[in-house]
Amino acid sequence: MTRRTLSLVLLLMVSALPLSASQFVDMQFDQLARGAKLIVRGTVVDTFSAWDDNREVIWTYATIRVHRYFGETTGPDTLVVRNAGGIVDGYMQEAIGFPVLRRGEDLVLMLADDGGHLVLHAYNQGKLLVQRRGAIEVLVSDPVRQGEARPQLTPRFGEAATNAVDDSPAMTIDEFSAMVDDARAGFRPTILRQQQ
Amino acid sequence: MKRQTILSVLISTIILCASADPVMAYVLLSPRRRWATTPITVRVYTTGNSTITDGSGGVNATVSAIRAWGIISSSTTSSAAVRGSAPATIMLNTNGGICSSTCLAATLTGYYVSQSGDDRIYDADVYTNQAYQYYSSGESGCSSEFDIDSIMVHEVGHVIGIGHSNVSGATMYPSISACNTAPRSLASDDFAARDDLY
Repeated sequence: MTRRTLSLVLLLMVSALPLSASQFVDMQFDQLARGAKLIVRGTVVDTFSAWDDNREVIWTYATIRVHRYFGETTGPDTLVVRNAGGIVDGYMQEAIGFPVLRRGEDLVLMLADDGGHLVLHAYNQGKLLVQRRGAIEVLVSDPVRQGEARPQLTPRFGEAATNAVDDSPAMTIDEFSAMVDDARAGFRPTILRQQQ
Repeated sequence: MKRQTILSVLISTIILCASADPVMAYVLLSPRRRWATTPITVRVYTTGNSTITDGSGGVNATVSAIRAWGIISSSTTSSAAVRGSAPATIMLNTNGGICSSTCLAATLTGYYVSQSGDDRIYDADVYTNQAYQYYSSGESGCSSEFDIDSIMVHEVGHVIGIGHSNVSGATMYPSISACNTAPRSLASDDFAARDDLY
């Protein structure tokens, strides 16, 4: 697939979702890839939620078993990613429109450092679900955010989830990896260059 | 064109229209949840946003704008938001530690999960990312800034239990561009969502 086509796929992956621009400003892929501290493929093997020390925010901590690091970085086999929102003692706190990390999800994450905690870089843009379409694994954006119902399973925080197959725009993991390498090497996708 | 052909085209069109998916309208937060009583008290913290030059940092404009919902009792407060406790509070001067990077504004809402499907909202606070430029209805002119009135009317929609709508032109439509003031005014879809809950 050409870089132009990949750019179009990325554009479609974004445009297929309701853009929460009242809450989020969309970042271009090369900015995302360059700004991320770590880019990994992994599985959410555990989650737990807890209030912060001031009992103001419930954070959910997701343990990620890392299968692969993208770009030139590498790191430990297990990472812990912190995300706002969660449930403690029956009290649910949600950051409406923010991403959710669910146990069992197979995903690719772009991560940033926020005060010593790993967090999703650019919120929903930093999370891609891995889906199997036939013999091929592809990456898709997660259409479900905090405060929204997930069709089929409707899992809540910490509940097991599966990556249901759909026909939304997607790219293969190898294509994604090439895009990351290009972005980190300083190349901008062709379609973006032409727009300048 | 023969009458039979015209009739066939007409029938086909009607069948296609009838079988098409209905236009998606408003979406309530899931699980469905609402405040116990109305009007819903929403306070705006008196320290405003430093990028807004209307004299109150957007505080007065926000207090006024969010009344568009018709079920909001709004005023200013000198007490910062206390998460997990009412009243709902809008903070224009801080990101609350949760809204940075590409986040413009965030609504953090809390409720006790019930088994009856009748969840009650106990608190909802709104935070604003200081890294962006905003302007208000109290100012004239706009240059690549985001309209705080529109953003806060939208966020208060989340505060009262409404999710994003697929109806273009609705305040709860999930996209806004710089200098767009249209979401200040609620659309019929927004009112329908409100009336569904309250």
